[in-house]
Amino acid sequence: MDIIVCVKKIPDPEIPPAKFKLDMESKRVIPPEGIPPVINPYDEQAVELALRLKDKYGGKITVLTIDNDADTSIVKHALAMGADEGIVLADKAFEGSDSFSTSHILSQAIQKVGNFDLVLCGRQAADWDEGLVGAIIAENLSLPLVTLAEAVDVVDGKLKVKRVTLDGYQIFAVPTPAVATVSNEVGQPRLPSGWGIISASRKQIPIWKAGDLDADPSQIGAKAVRRRLVKLFIPVREKKCEIIEGETTAEASVKLAERLRKAGVI
Amino acid sequence: MSSASIEDKLANNKYDIDKEVHVSIREDICKKCDEHYCLYACPADCFKLTEDHITFSYEGCLECGSCKIVCDKDAIDWTLPRAGFGICYQYG
Amino acid sequence: MKQRFDAIVVGAGPAGCTCGYSLAKAGLETLIVERGKFAGAKNMWGGAFYGPTLFQLFPRFWEEAPIERYIHRHRFSLLTQDSSLSAEFTTKKFGEPPYNGFSVLRAKFDHWFASKAEQAGAIIATGLQAEDLLWDRNTVAGIKAGGDELPASVVIACDGVNSDLTDKAGLRGKLLPRDIKQGVKEVIQIPRHLLEQRFNLSGEEGIAWEFIGSFTRGIPGGAFIYTNKESLSVGIVAQLSALCEKKIGANDLLENFKQHPSVAALLAGGNLVEYSAHLIPTSGKAMIPTLYSDGFLVAGDAASFVLATGLTLEGANFAIASGTAAAEAVIRAKQKRDFSRKSLSCYPELLKQSFVLKDLKTFKKASLFLENSRIYSQYPELACDLANKIFTNDGKPKKKIWKLLKNSMKDRVAFSEILRDLIQIKRAL
Repeated sequence: MDIIVCVKKIPDPEIPPAKFKLDMESKRVIPPEGIPPVINPYDEQAVELALRLKDKYGGKITVLTIDNDADTSIVKHALAMGADEGIVLADKAFEGSDSFSTSHILSQAIQKVGNFDLVLCGRQAADWDEGLVGAIIAENLSLPLVTLAEAVDVVDGKLKVKRVTLDGYQIFAVPTPAVATVSNEVGQPRLPSGWGIISASRKQIPIWKAGDLDADPSQIGAKAVRRRLVKLFIPVREKKCEIIEGETTAEASVKLAERLRKAGVI
Repeated sequence: MSSASIEDKLANNKYDIDKEVHVSIREDICKKCDEHYCLYACPADCFKLTEDHITFSYEGCLECGSCKIVCDKDAIDWTLPRAGFGICYQYG
Repeated sequence: MKQRFDAIVVGAGPAGCTCGYSLAKAGLETLIVERGKFAGAKNMWGGAFYGPTLFQLFPRFWEEAPIERYIHRHRFSLLTQDSSLSAEFTTKKFGEPPYNGFSVLRAKFDHWFASKAEQAGAIIATGLQAEDLLWDRNTVAGIKAGGDELPASVVIACDGVNSDLTDKAGLRGKLLPRDIKQGVKEVIQIPRHLLEQRFNLSGEEGIAWEFIGSFTRGIPGGAFIYTNKESLSVGIVAQLSALCEKKIGANDLLENFKQHPSVAALLAGGNLVEYSAHLIPTSGKAMIPTLYSDGFLVAGDAASFVLATGLTLEGANFAIASGTAAAEAVIRAKQKRDFSRKSLSCYPELLKQSFVLKDLKTFKKASLFLENSRIYSQYPELACDLANKIFTNDGKPKKKIWKLLKNSMKDRVAFSEILRDLIQIKRAL
């Protein structure tokens, strides 16, 4: 089974929140210097799910990412885990893309890669938590989609996808090729092996530019953005403690209710 | 600058906390120990003495190795966290 | 893809990066294995680095390496509970290339250092832990890492003070608390203009400031403040065994130090951004393990190559010099196609030719002398008390300094003790 996994580079989510700064003007979050970005953990789980399928059914795993600095680090991480090929999509024209333009770029790249049975994406990226890209890729490519996948199997030539629900799961039978977004119920991704890290570090990663992709110029980059972020700020959180007293419990309760109403809580 | 507790200080550090525990203590030995050198040797306050027994939490570990060196009763099973996990210094 | 490496270097600190760099440059198939997510992720030091060894490897390294400031002034202070007595040294030369020292933060610096080794042709495998040694009878034949066997002609352990591999090779005994100092450091952010104003710095100038005194409560050790671009490295170094005996943690000593009136004023308004700790093997020559065996070498902190002279602890230069010597020994072994113990025995010879073993021999009595608790309590008090008497004008007739000194010594320290300590200083330092 040939699988394409789309991965995104994000600021390390383990960075203590207080270390992030905001640029209100450009509405950008500025991660602290010195801690390298990482592969989105949900995408890492998508790589893990792909590897489990490869372990069972064989095939080839190709990893795609968009990175305008042509940074290959997260693709190499996926290769070190056991993926076969990685491609970085890098072009100035991609800058400022939103989920729609990102999905357009990825869809074009997926088509260029060609043969595939399954496209996997993380359920969402841990930086903005939108969770749109997988769904839009499915729409762009007119493919069936299952979100929140926990496990995938092959039964009678069809994909059997286990989808996580709030209090259980659903099983879908899906024809190939298909798209699935992967949930964290997959569990801890494997650690890269020794030879995996060594061979990934030596591998030349192809860089594809906008021109390589047959992408629609009106669909990519900042000019294609369909939404505008109005304001970005860190909310001020205040903690206050007030002790409400009363002669009797009933009196104190009434006072408490009045106070809460005054504060607009109830 | 007001003096901060070790816990407050550690909150500024970046950790990738593994689910696997990398340091553990042998409570049967610790129970019989009078010195509890580990309490003073650990710069991250990972060892706590509650009533008569020592507890250990690995999450704030700075991987310095002090506890293993000071414990003269070999009660500490000390290893490093798995690759990529544990403390990740931003400054160093 | 799978192959046999000429050399596997374990640890991408200064020793490992130097060694890997030199090996790769000489054309050896070299792998550097680092357990941190990136080179530097697991490493810390005080923060002042004196660069002659790096200068030999990379002339004008300060132009490309991520250094914070060059050390333009050295200051040393003796502290009592509420007083301080300081001496300062600066010279024009310190402010000119090649400079004398730098303040450096490891996370960035090691990253740069590893990239130099990578450019030279070494493979840097980060996020990879050397779990064990591979053996071919009694010869080290590679490592086990990330669940795989990675064969190599020689393994160089540069895995720091807690060197798991040196232990696994059976080359050293258990580390003793008396031979170890614990370093605990805070990086405190301070706006650049405020920092420069407080420490009287301009441009890229920096200060290295060491302290000893009552804040360590008689425990052998001291404190330091190094100025970075927009932060301070503030820390304490204390003998591990004495911390345990006195039942006090290094962080408490650090808080003592930070609350000293003349220190608190320097840190006011600062913002703690990182708290780190590390061990330093400080007993010098006495604790050096067996340095090599068949297919195996030890360098840097793993070999306890740290020089303690009282005022400073020097590890990085020794790491770099020993990394260079280890690489040279391996390059010679490669030419002979013989990585046996006998073939690698030129390693200690090369160390003797450099300053590494020479300096450690010269100062081999220093660590014992530095355990003398008078250095950390009585003498700072004596000096501050004397200075207090000299500088305080209480309207009474002045006394000769000699008389004041005798007065200050009363109940603190006897002449005979001072004499004995002076003789020891001559021997040890």
